[in-house]
Amino acid sequence: MNSLKLLPRRIFAFVARDFRLFVSYRMQFFLRIVSVLAVVTTLFFISKIFAGFTDPQYSQWRDPLATWLTGLAVLNYFMTGFSSLANSIRQEQMQGTLESVLLTPINLPTVIVASSAWDFLETTFFSFLYLFFGRVFFGVHYRGSFFLAVVFLLLTTVVLACLGILSASFAMVFKRGDPFGIFLGAGSALFSGVFFPTQLLRQYAGPKLGSISLLLPATYGLDGIRQVLIEGHGLAEVTQPLITLLCFLAVLLPFSLWVFGRAVKRAKREGSLIQY
Amino acid sequence: MTNVSEFAISIRNLSKTYPSPFRRLRAFFRRAVKDPVEALRDVSFDVRTGEIFGLIGRNGAGKTTLTKIVATLVQPTTGEVSVLGDDSVRHDEAVRRKVGLATAEERSFYWRLTAEQNLMFFARLHGLSDRTAKQRISELFVKLELEELARRRFGEMSTGNKQRLAVARAMLSQPPVLLLDEPTRSLDPLAAARMRELIRSQAQQDPPVTIFLTSHNLAEVETLCERVAIISGGRIRAINTPQHLRSLTSKSEQVYVTVSGLNGTNESKRISFTRQSGDNQLDEKLRDLQQRGARILDVDVERATLFDVLELYESGDTDEH
Repeated sequence: MNSLKLLPRRIFAFVARDFRLFVSYRMQFFLRIVSVLAVVTTLFFISKIFAGFTDPQYSQWRDPLATWLTGLAVLNYFMTGFSSLANSIRQEQMQGTLESVLLTPINLPTVIVASSAWDFLETTFFSFLYLFFGRVFFGVHYRGSFFLAVVFLLLTTVVLACLGILSASFAMVFKRGDPFGIFLGAGSALFSGVFFPTQLLRQYAGPKLGSISLLLPATYGLDGIRQVLIEGHGLAEVTQPLITLLCFLAVLLPFSLWVFGRAVKRAKREGSLIQY
Repeated sequence: MTNVSEFAISIRNLSKTYPSPFRRLRAFFRRAVKDPVEALRDVSFDVRTGEIFGLIGRNGAGKTTLTKIVATLVQPTTGEVSVLGDDSVRHDEAVRRKVGLATAEERSFYWRLTAEQNLMFFARLHGLSDRTAKQRISELFVKLELEELARRRFGEMSTGNKQRLAVARAMLSQPPVLLLDEPTRSLDPLAAARMRELIRSQAQQDPPVTIFLTSHNLAEVETLCERVAIISGGRIRAINTPQHLRSLTSKSEQVYVTVSGLNGTNESKRISFTRQSGDNQLDEKLRDLQQRGARILDVDVERATLFDVLELYESGDTDEH
């Protein structure tokens, strides 16, 4: 049987394993749900301060609560995209289980896809929770094509997952001190427009610092999703962010897979697969 | 050229030097630079299909590195390793399909999952369907006497049971080659005996499983293995049958005979003498004692052991064989 046929079974193996590990910490799960509700409630009250004061040029920010909630839900996803693989590799190294996993006849792309699968499922749940609590408790309305928003979400997540693969390669070789996680985590929250319009950044911090947001795939993903969900735009109006994301993907996907392969080879050469 | 059916593992001119990581970078920042570690030097040998092959040596001799290279977890610096015809670097995925590795490393399992859940995870990674995996896992639990521990968390299991679970995992996909690193290290004497029996039965089944065993228990290696390699300082110093290796240290044996009724007395007496293995001395001595009216109560022969052989090679007093 070839690897492609076995891919679903192997992904399921990782998901089932991570689910069992997850339910062995039940309290943590309930506390996270409560914390999402607390964040949504807090944002609701903060949004009331700005009600009616939003500058009309920022069309996506007419209802700040809706914009923040989509921003947080999507940021959650993006963070998973670039951190989950590095985290799972680092965790397997710390537990000492990475060698046992790499001893089974699975190839590298399978390890990459499968070991992050549970994180994406978990994030989907919590991202959905932000939107759900906003809708149910605070009357936030979303419009536009949900399908198109999901396409944007998936595309951006895959692009960020490529950065995650680079991050995991770094963890594999250097064991810790992952700069991608630090830069992209803090950078996306600050520069990609999660909490405020990116135009404000250019206006106040100058064109050089403001243009950092143009280098982040999350900026385009978030912009596209908000255009669809908040402004109700269709495919024809969101081609620019869509094409930009596809360009990121075309460059980053082969490059990150190549780097990850090299990192595993290096760890095997140094005999450091289970070191951390 | 390697004969696939004859040899399960073929190792040719294998050397492994662990590089000093980020040597130039560390030197640039004037940080202490570690020297590269030469773990294996020009190792060559074959393991026959269905053979129980032992590898003995002191800590740091290169046993684990060699085992990990065969298992594709470490890449050789030079040389080649092939498992049933597949190269461990170029066709690593194919090699992993043919090899099961059991180490004494406790950290290789998920501590919050049960024994059964752990094996299920690895069975799925091996591509077994859930039905086949469940069947195989319950067979292995019976074989390794772990049935009652199936639903116990790995972290709550005793060290010996963790080790048995590691052997069960290695056997999950029924690989034709098993690499066992100290499979009885933490087992009680009875469990260790059963484990040895299991290992022996694997090599005798049809088709036979090739066993590559590393152990510090030399008596175990002597009992189980058809051939043994002695590794020291990353070099293979000798490969042969345990009997032949023993004879390298000394051809003589010390014989102890306990007798009673010798020269008309009733008291029992212990007589000892040295003989060359295979000579007629034992026969002659016993006949002489019987002619003098002695009743033979016990005969005990003290031979050189693999420990003596290992000691000999470690002291550097012998050539390579």
